Amino acid sequence: MDKMEVEKRVIKVVCHVLGADPAEVKAESDFVFDLGAESAQSVGLVTAFEAEFGIEMDHEEALKVQTVGGAADYIATQLT
Amino acid sequence: MPSQPTEPSALDLIFSPRSVAVLGVGATPGTVPNDIFCNILGSGFKGVLYPVAPGKHSINAVRAYRYVTDIDDTVDLAVIVFPANVCEKALQQCGEKGVRAAIIISAGFREVGPEGAAREDRVKDLCRRYGIALVGPNCLGVINTAPDVMLNASFARGMPSAGRIGFLSQSGALCTAVLDYAAEKHIGFSKFVSFGNKAGVTEIDLMDYLHRDPQTDVILLYLEELRDGRGLIEAARRITRGPGAKPILAIKSGRTPQGAHAAASHTGSLAGEDAVCDAVFRQAGIIRVASIEELFNAAILYAYQPMPADNRLAIVTNAGGPGVMATDAAVSAGLRIPRFEPETTLKLKAALPAAANTKNPVDVIGDARAERYVAALDAVLADPNVDEVLVILTPQSMTDIPEIAQSICQVQKTAAKPISCSFMGAADVRPGITILQRAHIPHYVLPEWACQAMAHVQAIRQWRAQPAEKIDPAPVDRAAAEAVLRGAPAGYLREDQALAVLEAYGFPVPAAKLCKTADEAVAWGDRIGYPVVLRVVSPQIVHKFDVKGVALNLAGADAVRTAHRQMMDHLATAAPEAAIVGVIVRRMIPPGHEVILGAKRDPAFGPTVMFGLGGIFVEIFKDVTFALAPLSRQAAARAVREIAAYPLLEGARGTAKADVAGIEDCLVRLGQLVTDFDSIAELDINPLLVGSAEQGCAVADVRIRIAGNG
Repeated sequence: MDKMEVEKRVIKVVCHVLGADPAEVKAESDFVFDLGAESAQSVGLVTAFEAEFGIEMDHEEALKVQTVGGAADYIATQLT
Repeated sequence: MPSQPTEPSALDLIFSPRSVAVLGVGATPGTVPNDIFCNILGSGFKGVLYPVAPGKHSINAVRAYRYVTDIDDTVDLAVIVFPANVCEKALQQCGEKGVRAAIIISAGFREVGPEGAAREDRVKDLCRRYGIALVGPNCLGVINTAPDVMLNASFARGMPSAGRIGFLSQSGALCTAVLDYAAEKHIGFSKFVSFGNKAGVTEIDLMDYLHRDPQTDVILLYLEELRDGRGLIEAARRITRGPGAKPILAIKSGRTPQGAHAAASHTGSLAGEDAVCDAVFRQAGIIRVASIEELFNAAILYAYQPMPADNRLAIVTNAGGPGVMATDAAVSAGLRIPRFEPETTLKLKAALPAAANTKNPVDVIGDARAERYVAALDAVLADPNVDEVLVILTPQSMTDIPEIAQSICQVQKTAAKPISCSFMGAADVRPGITILQRAHIPHYVLPEWACQAMAHVQAIRQWRAQPAEKIDPAPVDRAAAEAVLRGAPAGYLREDQALAVLEAYGFPVPAAKLCKTADEAVAWGDRIGYPVVLRVVSPQIVHKFDVKGVALNLAGADAVRTAHRQMMDHLATAAPEAAIVGVIVRRMIPPGHEVILGAKRDPAFGPTVMFGLGGIFVEIFKDVTFALAPLSRQAAARAVREIAAYPLLEGARGTAKADVAGIEDCLVRLGQLVTDFDSIAELDINPLLVGSAEQGCAVADVRIRIAGNG
């Protein structure tokens, strides 16, 4: 799966979990500062990424990722 | 012409903002990001409130903004509740918008380790760059109960009632407990601040603000860590005396990490940070207390009752035992139990049954109802020998508790003297206590607590009555001391050098000389006269007595030669590695009181001096006190009188009065010396031998430790 595809699916998950407008979700968007993720939603995002990509993530590490682009990069490394 | 409105200060913006933006508001009730917003909204805030909640259309029916920069209006105060890792972004936007005041509630800064400390440093940089006054991070928030503001920018469980007490706390969790405690006792606040890590606004800024605040009468402080002890003391001195003086009552818990190290000198080991803090607070007019109970016990008495003119207490009780207990407690606390004027006794006799006690403490006896309490109260309050009154009630079958409480409230309305109460018990007396507390009449579970609170108020009164002190430097030869100290290596100065420093600063140092040989020692002894003392000088020998490096009371030349030979022979085996520079030869000082004068650098307060009973008693009795350096003459006089052994110096049991003025002079000079030279880490004069006023004082031994560069 190429990086573009990963990012596209990450944005889809983010919009679904946070109820965000896809037009406002950019690679540089901060989950908390720009998209308003509350702490429970951040945990929900990690779980939703795992389901979307069929992977298991280290939650502590995953929760340190702050931006959409960062999440796409992190997931891409998990997929390879 | 109308005057121009003045620009509000940054602290005014924190306490009385016209508009508040909460950054990072969440939609989940029961979480800090949501509760803070709801608290401001629900507290009746008189300004405008903006939730900054990215991704949300509204919070509690209030239109939400994605960024603070999206708000068209001016924002006076930003309350940041975002997680720590995005607080910098939020603060950056506040700076760009021109917000001048902020509170960061979030934790995750200096308190969590190096990564958090670095984050806090970046936050400080942002505040400096944009000129933002910051409360926090890692705090509960700020509350202002002023009716024209009504701001509860905190995650406390509700808005406290308005009152005259300003509360400042480093601990946020303690704040919530204090608010709950105060609510139960009907205690109100003017301002309530949890200042957390104090990355921007400090307790000193807040104390100064409360000093100026017309709604605050008394300042309460809970402090865990002192970073600027000197600043705190200077602020306290400004606030607690002079026009508009307000008392400061403080709990200082915890110790600085530096205090844990084991120090080599007596002063170092005796001057634990807590003991120094205790003395220094006292010298700055800060009333230090040990518990929240004690803090509020004193605060309510000061805030809600008039200041007593003096310390004469009348007690009115319906039970003899508690009256006696209260009398004991009052006397122990330094209060006086005066005799009444004959007119008062006549009034009491006329109003009370024959079995009643009309002397102080007045016993209105067990069957007393409200009218008897009122008659006794009226009589003692009118007595010119009485400055304040304590009313004690024990619940007996005929005691009309609520009526008595209401009567006391009525009497208090016109009384010019403070009234405190102790309705002893719990369940039966509860309705009466509630009546008293609602009327702001201080109530104490035990009469002893009442007396302790009264003693604190007396300390405030006495502190204000003392004139402000001026520090007059003593004439000293600073250049001569500097010549010795400049470039001195870290570690202990040689005794001859230490004595030279003291001599330059005008201490009573007996004529002494460093002699390299026995012949030189004899020549010097012949010159100054016998008996003399020999003291070995070696950079490697700090404890001279341990290696027999001291010979006392040598009556003539032969004795000096013998002592010198024996000392050198012994040192050759007892301290073979020591390089012997020579021996100090000085006149034998006549016996006298042995006292210790010490100095050290406290991590929080800087140079401090210590005074106490000296010689071998130092470690046993630890009868010492401390003072900030430099000292005024008055501070030196107080320090000398603070130790338990002071009566010995005054001439107990027919002995001559010691040269107390000489000790005070030495303390002033010591304070000056350690203030002038940062390189002095610790200094012990132990003992200073103190003779009569005619004989004077003499330095018998001194050790000066020079600080290392690290």
